[in-house]
Amino acid sequence: MADLSAQVQEPFDLVRLSLSERVFVKLKGERSLVGVLHAYDGHMNMIMSDVEETILLVEPEEEVNGAGTVQTVKRQLEMLFVRGDSVILVSPGAR
Amino acid sequence: MLIFSVFKTLTDQVVTVELKNDLCITGTLKSVDQFLNIRLDKISVVDPERYPHMMAVKNCFIRGSVVRYVQIPATAVDTQLLEDATRREHASTHKR
Amino acid sequence: MASLNGYINQRVLLILQDGRCIVGTLVGLDNRADIVLSNSVERVYSPDEPVEEVPLGLYLVKGDMILLVGELDTEVDDATDLSQQRAEPLAPIRYGHE
Repeated sequence: MADLSAQVQEPFDLVRLSLSERVFVKLKGERSLVGVLHAYDGHMNMIMSDVEETILLVEPEEEVNGAGTVQTVKRQLEMLFVRGDSVILVSPGAR
Repeated sequence: MLIFSVFKTLTDQVVTVELKNDLCITGTLKSVDQFLNIRLDKISVVDPERYPHMMAVKNCFIRGSVVRYVQIPATAVDTQLLEDATRREHASTHKR
Repeated sequence: MASLNGYINQRVLLILQDGRCIVGTLVGLDNRADIVLSNSVERVYSPDEPVEEVPLGLYLVKGDMILLVGELDTEVDDATDLSQQRAEPLAPIRYGHE
């Protein structure tokens, strides 16, 4: 990771170095993706393959116990274009 | 421009467009413009029971800004070509 | 490229950002994708009541508000019995942090 940070002068350098690598992408709407990054642009539009999407469904609070329940739904997608305006963060070397 | 070019190469492929209101529409990609607005032909919605609203729609124009994902057939893209083109675009927009 | 010109004088369905569905004949259009419909109706969907059609007549919709424009197969649409359809209204598009 140390030599990686030496190559990263600006944020998009980090994304470039993640090309053809598995990345973790956090999206709006409690969604996240893990997949191989093949393309991106300055809007953070991306094309990824072999993607697993995780959606966090937060059920409204139940009156009995007062706590909302959280459920995750997963989905596999072979090749995906992701519009950049939904993207919150991109992290190399998916968890 | 890069992503726009990629979409142009996907013309006549069957894709599934997922909108930010969760509606998923499958159809043949007829055209794309610089805003990534999309024209789809021979469309069907993915969950017609839940979404009968578009039953009689043959083809449609989707505003680029409301798209969350586009699912693409993996066979339709050359990933090596994409990565090379992305590196080239990165180099041209981040020259120091 | 992905232009709307082909929809002029066609029966179309507009889906708006707030989830509303409006059907009408597309009679006008500009480069911001503002759209004028004639003989338009809003189709109001609900899970336990028939689809209600609210007449809107000649109607202008701002391009920013439009999420999708679909060309209707009028034969299929005319043959559809809206009084038998039950569905949740379409979800609006949420902006910001959701």
